[in-house]
Amino acid sequence: MIIKCPYCGPRDVIEFTYQGDATRQRPDPASSDQAAWNAYVYERANPMGAHREFWLHSGGCRQHLIVTRDMATHVISSVGLARDAVAAGKGGDRP
Amino acid sequence: MAEPQSPLGHTFVPGDHGNSAGGIGLVLTERSDVSIVQVTAWRGTIPAILTAIGDVTGLNVPDKPGAGRSAGEKSAFGFAPGRYFVVSPSADLEDRLRKAIPLETGTIVDLTHGRSAIRVKGPWSEWVLSKLFAIDFSEHGFPVGFGRATLHHDIHANIQRIDAETFDLYVFRTFARSFWQTLGHAAAEVGYRVE
Amino acid sequence: MTASRLPKGGRIDRARTVRFTFDGKAYSGHPGDTLASALLANGVTLFGRSFKYHRPRGVFAAGSDEPNALVTVLNGDVREPNVRATELEIHDGLVTESQNRFPSLEHDVMAINQLAGPILSAGFYYKTFMGPAIGPLRSTKVWMFFEKFIRRAAGLGRAGIAADPDHYERMNAFCDVLVVGTGPAGLLAAEAAAETGAQVIIAEERPVAGGALLASAELIDGRNAAVWAREKAAALAGRANVRFLTRTSVWGYYDGNVLTAIEHVSDFKPNRTKGQPRQRHWVIRTGKTILATGAFERPIVFPGNDCPGVMLADAVRRYAVEYGVAAGTNVTLFTNNDSAYEAARAMAQAGVNIVAIVDVRADVSGACIEIASAAGAELVLGHAVTGTHAGKTLSSITVQHFNAQTGHVSGAAREIKTDCLGVSGGWSPAIHLASQAGGKPEWDEDLQAFLPPEANQNWVTAGSAAGYMDTVSVFSDGATKGTSSKTKPKLPAVDAPMFDASPAPVFEIEPAAKSQKAFVDFQHDVTADDIRLAYREGFHSVEHLKRYTTLGMATDQGKTSNIPGLAIMADVRGITIPEAGTTRFRPPFTPVSFGAIAGERYGDLRPHRLTPMHDWHLANSARTYEAGLWHRPMIYGSHGETVEQAYVREARAVRQSVGIVDVSTLGKIDIQGPDAGEFLDRVYTNMFSTLPVGKARYGLMLREDGIVYDDGTTWRLSETQFLMTTTTANAGNVMQHLEFYLDCVWPDLRVHLTSVTDVWAGTAVSGPKARAVLEACVTGTGVDNATLPFMGIVHGFIGDVPVMICRLSFSGELAYEVYCGAGYGTQVWEALLEAGKPFDIMPYGLEALGTLRIEKGHVTGAEIDGRTTAHDLHLDWMLSKKKPYIGSGMKDRAGLNDENRLSLVGLISLDNQSINGGSHIVSDAAPREPADSFGHVTAACYSPALGKYIALALVKHGTSMIGNRAYATDLLRGKHGAVEIVSHHMFDPEGSRMHG
Repeated sequence: MIIKCPYCGPRDVIEFTYQGDATRQRPDPASSDQAAWNAYVYERANPMGAHREFWLHSGGCRQHLIVTRDMATHVISSVGLARDAVAAGKGGDRP
Repeated sequence: MAEPQSPLGHTFVPGDHGNSAGGIGLVLTERSDVSIVQVTAWRGTIPAILTAIGDVTGLNVPDKPGAGRSAGEKSAFGFAPGRYFVVSPSADLEDRLRKAIPLETGTIVDLTHGRSAIRVKGPWSEWVLSKLFAIDFSEHGFPVGFGRATLHHDIHANIQRIDAETFDLYVFRTFARSFWQTLGHAAAEVGYRVE
Repeated sequence: MTASRLPKGGRIDRARTVRFTFDGKAYSGHPGDTLASALLANGVTLFGRSFKYHRPRGVFAAGSDEPNALVTVLNGDVREPNVRATELEIHDGLVTESQNRFPSLEHDVMAINQLAGPILSAGFYYKTFMGPAIGPLRSTKVWMFFEKFIRRAAGLGRAGIAADPDHYERMNAFCDVLVVGTGPAGLLAAEAAAETGAQVIIAEERPVAGGALLASAELIDGRNAAVWAREKAAALAGRANVRFLTRTSVWGYYDGNVLTAIEHVSDFKPNRTKGQPRQRHWVIRTGKTILATGAFERPIVFPGNDCPGVMLADAVRRYAVEYGVAAGTNVTLFTNNDSAYEAARAMAQAGVNIVAIVDVRADVSGACIEIASAAGAELVLGHAVTGTHAGKTLSSITVQHFNAQTGHVSGAAREIKTDCLGVSGGWSPAIHLASQAGGKPEWDEDLQAFLPPEANQNWVTAGSAAGYMDTVSVFSDGATKGTSSKTKPKLPAVDAPMFDASPAPVFEIEPAAKSQKAFVDFQHDVTADDIRLAYREGFHSVEHLKRYTTLGMATDQGKTSNIPGLAIMADVRGITIPEAGTTRFRPPFTPVSFGAIAGERYGDLRPHRLTPMHDWHLANSARTYEAGLWHRPMIYGSHGETVEQAYVREARAVRQSVGIVDVSTLGKIDIQGPDAGEFLDRVYTNMFSTLPVGKARYGLMLREDGIVYDDGTTWRLSETQFLMTTTTANAGNVMQHLEFYLDCVWPDLRVHLTSVTDVWAGTAVSGPKARAVLEACVTGTGVDNATLPFMGIVHGFIGDVPVMICRLSFSGELAYEVYCGAGYGTQVWEALLEAGKPFDIMPYGLEALGTLRIEKGHVTGAEIDGRTTAHDLHLDWMLSKKKPYIGSGMKDRAGLNDENRLSLVGLISLDNQSINGGSHIVSDAAPREPADSFGHVTAACYSPALGKYIALALVKHGTSMIGNRAYATDLLRGKHGAVEIVSHHMFDPEGSRMHG
């Protein structure tokens, strides 16, 4: 599998580290809502189709990416820097 | 001041190696006399950082991914968003960058002791490096002056292309000896000289 | 069968002779020969014994589809088994032997297995595992009885024990277009692609380019087809934008248009150049792939079809045309399609004597009749081969009338004397790589074959791989698929008779009375009857069929057996072949050696990470061990000392005077920026923004789920710069953890992270005399208690080397960590040793380091094991109540505060015996299975400070158990001993020594 890093260009998947589901929403840090924390830490969807995930380009620029990948075909439809997306309010479950 | 010790130790053996009877396809050198400083911009301060690098080194690095420049023993290149290696034989490189780059512009980390700088030069450099790194070393895929961050198994490396057949590699010091040996094995086929 | 070298022809170099051995006997051949062609030229037709029944087998094919002629190549003690003789190029000194025979190929005692045919049928293993009683043997006992015979009798080549002395390497390649195969389609496609200026890689599995053209009787542009191909290939190879790889088999197709290939660099050479690898593992990332992989001829299944002398028709042709070898004196052909006639034409031109062509079809075209007549071959139409006569090799065949529409065999058997039968059951496009890439192959009724699936990545198939079976359309398809540009290469003129590519849909000849087995999968000895048996026993789907009978699961991956097997299953089920479906092909296309996959890491699987002082350690009798990738001193041994004696001596020296240890491996992260303090407050459970500049603090990190993640000290170097240290093992993970939060959770924080683990050499100086040692060598700063208090940081020099010193303690003694640039690590280390001489300073290794921390009850990865909470480890005091931090949201979950949780305690051996790490804690004084285990030992040692064997343990109700007696039990290693549960602070609980 090849992931096209927005900075480094296309690289082998071996250069990347999977960092989990990018659609979950971290509760307010001070929150003690156990259900919300539970959902954030443990609950994961497993959709057949497109899915947003965090990948760290650990073997390259060391940036976290948001990768939209089809879980059935592995076809990657978009890759962006996570920092940009999250800072623009497009992280988490806000596509 | 006392000379810093090379991490290569007994594995650094000057002379000809491998299939050198068939010619010297590659020359490997350790650049132990350079300072290596990492400079990182904040979001929005990349132009200011590049100006500062230019002022300190005279190298005008364009603002695009992986772009870089080299002149003589000096070089600078990007390898991550807003992050650059600046390399120079002058011992006061860090001080000069620190003066030129206040915290509002970016941060500075002296990595001189943390990296081993290896120069790979010769007609077979693309071929031999392609054995170790899964990036395109052809000149259209990796133009002169540009930098790359990649890895060989667990060994991370920053690589800059100096000219058509020369690459500078910066590998983590604690992995340098292991990498040097692997590089030698990869180069044996084409014959290599250690200088 | 008398195979022999023809007087002329072939692309072998007859002027030179190559000498090799097979089963100890010397033979000679010519450069350009494969082992198969050279042995045939020497009249050898028996190549091996079959997998289950040990039947004599000859060579069947001429390429990578060979199921029978597998040999072992010997190189001294090194054995490479299961090499296809049809691909193995001979060279001087090549030593080979046949496989799966005892004591010799000619006289094989296991051939008795043929009589056991009914027992060894499909599903033999399953049946004997679970099966009925046979005599006194019941169910699995049957298996246990048979197993040792089966293991010895069934199988392929024997693997060797000697290490492979060769070396291998990996090569990464990038291109715009990858062309796999260099037959007529591949050559034209590559030319078309190269013309556009694209970067092109061409991979050919054979030593020479040309594919089907190499054995063709056709004229291309008025020239011999093989010569035309050679010149075309040379022109392509000469282009600057083309890399032409021969002897390179593309074996895997992965996501993202990544393909893997093995290049045989030197294993066909008698002598290798220095540094040259045996094989090179190519990983090719391509924009577009053109699969011009050709087609495989498939056999027709008939009784007695596996004796030496029965071959694929195309193989007989290739031996004749490419190698100048007649596979028999009187060759017959058996076909259901026209391609055998083209083969006959080429064979006849090469000088092979063809006595008859048996065709299942009642009518054939005029072109076919003409070829048979020109070759002097009798044309036996509407007939099929229904049996063979053979001793060790074929002597005659029987043919009977055959109705190709009904499949009905009738009439009297007629015998035809022949020593070589070439069979053609039609052609199957080589869709293996396309199938790996994904998608379901599509059945083509005309070709009676599966065509490649619709492309789901950027690839196309070209030529016969795409179902074009005549050279004219193959050329045209190649040129078309090679480029989307309007300018195509000029198509070569082809001078050849026109044939019909459609075979009659005949896959098996099944006479009513059978006296011989009809084989489908030669390599795994699967017969047509095995498939019918699988059906009767309920294994209908192709996936079940494959696993139950092992059809297509051998090293040839069913290249010749796949379609006939499916056809037979479809027939017994009364459905069509596409309804029966096909299994998906998986990598590798041809077998790949492990060494080649390991590449340059073969023999040295991981890099070695060395501290700046590594050479000093080795020169001073350190015994090292690997901790992750690091090599670290375990002890510094002296003569005759045990490991325990050494670490006890080292640890005692630290408590009594002073020792030094290399701590360069600790993870170190530079954290800079205006928000660095805020960032650390969020990732650590305790407060860092309030830490004064020039001070360090011990910090604890949790995971989001409230479990402890890592610990370490973090030093404030300026208002906006911190140096974080992490545990050695967790350094990379902690870095990723921090990067994740900065990138994905708090991108608004202005903080930069850099790993500086390699920048600093670290030496810990510990013991009552530690300060005296520093006083003797540090300049530029005081190190007295006022200037350098506990957790203080100073900057100074040792010699002329700048150092940073932090006073902190892992050993519980007065201790300092001295950091300097890694390049000065050894100098500073040696200077500290010199300064410590008056105090008998002693270097200590990880064992002593561990001992000192166990005595103190300090935790490491053994206790921070991904299951423990801060409370479990008595680190609650580090949990700030003033701020949220990672893990604060979940740390109070009920399960994490359950009173039954394990918590940290100390153990003291009551019987003066050592305690094993990993022992269970039980209450039972008698050694027995630890059913009542209520904890486990995390670390253990002999404590010189206490004069006892001690341990740390995680124990249920830990704190309230203090003072109780229990037993540490490790029955696997024969240990069971009484212990007293004590506080984990076993030595100097007040901490007076480190504050001294």
